[in-house]
Amino acid sequence: MTELKTYKWPILTIVIITVVLMVMLTVGFAIGILSEDPDGLERALIDAKGETWLESLPSPWMPILGGIESDYMAGIIGILLSVVLMIAIFYLIAYIKKRND
Amino acid sequence: MHIPDGLLDPITTVVLWVVTIVFMIIAFKKIGKSFEEEDSEKLIPYIGVLAATLFAFQFVNFPVPGGTSGHLVGGTLVGVILGPWAAVIVIFMILVVQSLFGDGGITAIGANTFNMGIICGFFGFYIVKAIILILNKTNMEKEKKVTIATAIGSYIAILLAAFMAGVEVGIGGTIPMEIIVPTMIFWHIFIGIGEAVISALIVYFIYKVKPEFITTEETLGVE
Repeated sequence: MTELKTYKWPILTIVIITVVLMVMLTVGFAIGILSEDPDGLERALIDAKGETWLESLPSPWMPILGGIESDYMAGIIGILLSVVLMIAIFYLIAYIKKRND
Repeated sequence: MHIPDGLLDPITTVVLWVVTIVFMIIAFKKIGKSFEEEDSEKLIPYIGVLAATLFAFQFVNFPVPGGTSGHLVGGTLVGVILGPWAAVIVIFMILVVQSLFGDGGITAIGANTFNMGIICGFFGFYIVKAIILILNKTNMEKEKKVTIATAIGSYIAILLAAFMAGVEVGIGGTIPMEIIVPTMIFWHIFIGIGEAVISALIVYFIYKVKPEFITTEETLGVE
């Protein structure tokens, strides 16, 4: 219970951020404040070599979550993965520090 | 800004991985030291919140004139909130997650961390610090000083990162340096405005809602 109280605000904030992202995606694309155009580097590469060339660049692996086509699903999974990884890595640093002391 | 696989030459890839690993090792030690302070672990769930915010903002692309889009990189923003070393770790972890979705190459994580974590996050922090030193001569409120410095600092940092990304791609020889570098800088002149505005708004919002979350006030030298 104490643990839950400690994490109440961070958890609530993450839920709010996720909901806001979903609303932003829905409304943003509808009214045109968001864009699916290529970003700066992609644009520079497409201008120089073309889109087909960019898509055919060799990669040593297939992105394991690259198959997710829904922006909403990718957003939720990405947020959860980022939060879990980040908290895990910082707790690990704190744990190692305490163990060494 | 996310460099994909297959674009950098092997030497550039390895060198930037080495630089990133060295920065990561030092960052782990520095962050470990900061956990010596009592109750510092209470900050960790909020680092998770910051990760969620950053991922969400990196996910949404705002339009830039000329059929291009931009999104927040957030390196300087994380640097201002958590410090330059934490920024390197946070950006590295975000890039790992994004590479799982195919946004940025797995072999290019070293280069991408160098551009977005080390240049935007680490050096961006010190650019912000330098601007704050200048702003300290005015009688502005401290949240305004940090907000303005974050906006200018993140704009300069994003241009530097774009320049470096162009140089890295140019070294590979796939696209001549004299073409890729000016093109990258040209597009990021516009994208940087979005980066500056979003970063400044987030910093200002945190100052109004939870100012203790800005852990770097002392290091930044805000008076």
